[in-house]
Amino acid sequence: MQANGSVGRLMQALRCLPGVGPKSAQRMAYYLLLRNRDGARVLAESLLAAVDRVGYCERCRSLSETALCAVCASPSRDQSQLCVVEMPTDVYAIDQAGCYRGVFFVLNGRLSPLDGIGPVELGLDRLEQRLAGGEIKEVVLATNTTVEGEATAHYLGEMAQRHHIRTTRIAYGVPMGGELEFVDGATLSLAFNGRREF
Amino acid sequence: MQASHPHRIQLQPGYVLHRRPYRETSLLVDVFSREYGKVGLLAKGVRGGKTARVDSLPPFRPLLLSWTGKGELPLLTGVESAAPSPPLQGVALYCGFYLNELLQAFLHRHDPQPLLFERYAGLLADLPVTGDKDRLLRAFELTLLQELGYGLQLHCDAEHHRDIQPGQSYHYVPDRGPIAARADAGSIRGITLIALREGRLDDAATRREAKWLLRRVIHHHLAGRPLKSRELFRQKSHESS
Repeated sequence: MQANGSVGRLMQALRCLPGVGPKSAQRMAYYLLLRNRDGARVLAESLLAAVDRVGYCERCRSLSETALCAVCASPSRDQSQLCVVEMPTDVYAIDQAGCYRGVFFVLNGRLSPLDGIGPVELGLDRLEQRLAGGEIKEVVLATNTTVEGEATAHYLGEMAQRHHIRTTRIAYGVPMGGELEFVDGATLSLAFNGRREF
Repeated sequence: MQASHPHRIQLQPGYVLHRRPYRETSLLVDVFSREYGKVGLLAKGVRGGKTARVDSLPPFRPLLLSWTGKGELPLLTGVESAAPSPPLQGVALYCGFYLNELLQAFLHRHDPQPLLFERYAGLLADLPVTGDKDRLLRAFELTLLQELGYGLQLHCDAEHHRDIQPGQSYHYVPDRGPIAARADAGSIRGITLIALREGRLDDAATRREAKWLLRRVIHHHLAGRPLKSRELFRQKSHESS
């Protein structure tokens, strides 16, 4: 059935979500309109509010409603340790792991020359300014372990070293709970090269 | 030309040049294959999700690719690793991106380039271990231009067809060749042209001139399209592509 008017528009709008095709969009639209109008209203209002209010933290460029995000503004965070990640979701993942007490810098991307993304497009001058500020004592490179992530890490490493800042890269290795048999060769060889005294 | 393409290709040696996300979990992959040249493939279900956490289509790794279907976008049906990824790090990795960007810009789809493929494979293996990336990159750029019909004239001048003289200065005109000229900021020494031809770039001045010449010629053929990976080298002015 081809829905027209507001219902059709709603279904079309829902398809902007990842993983939502025509069928799911139809299900969602009908659910909201037939069974959960209050939920629909809350959803619509929250969406509008979020889109209007949420911007980027001016220090770390993570998503934030205030000029400084909660992490950057927190006095209990170690402001001298800076972890550079690709996406805001990485900040969330690292924070959930609870192993890191420093602050972040979000690239919102990675160096990917073939996609036309170079240092300028990534806004690395902002990071450079921050490194030049003198407050940072260690840069933790936590970009992905893809070739683009590695290139980005190397580029940032050179940048940090120009400012004589200690630079570390997160370790590579076998995932917890993983069985060696199913780990790919590249990861295994990195895990062996990076083995430690026991 | 495409009509003659078989429908099913099995275990074709190739490299991933570039990938872009397509829909939710798929990738559009440009590969450089040995027998079919550059081919665009659709790789379904290789991105995101729990089953596809490890990258099975990394650039620079020698792969064996299988695909099916002709037309504009054949479907990738299988990928195996032919050898481990070359340990490209730092500047060598930047060079890898530069090579891929060059190939991506210059190769035409479905145009087999077996010699170029062989040189590319060799270069990826050499980059992590060589101390002389400049010489290898220049040699590759020369081969690339040569194989694609933009070969440089390094034997005689374009005006009088006289042999290149080591002591003479030249202006290099893309699509024509070197023209004898008085030495100035835009000129290149005969000795550099000869060194480039013979593949030995021993001193800094020769390297600089060779790099500058090839950059200009490549730029000319790309008709103004910039090569982004060059920006990565800017931090490292002493060792660049």
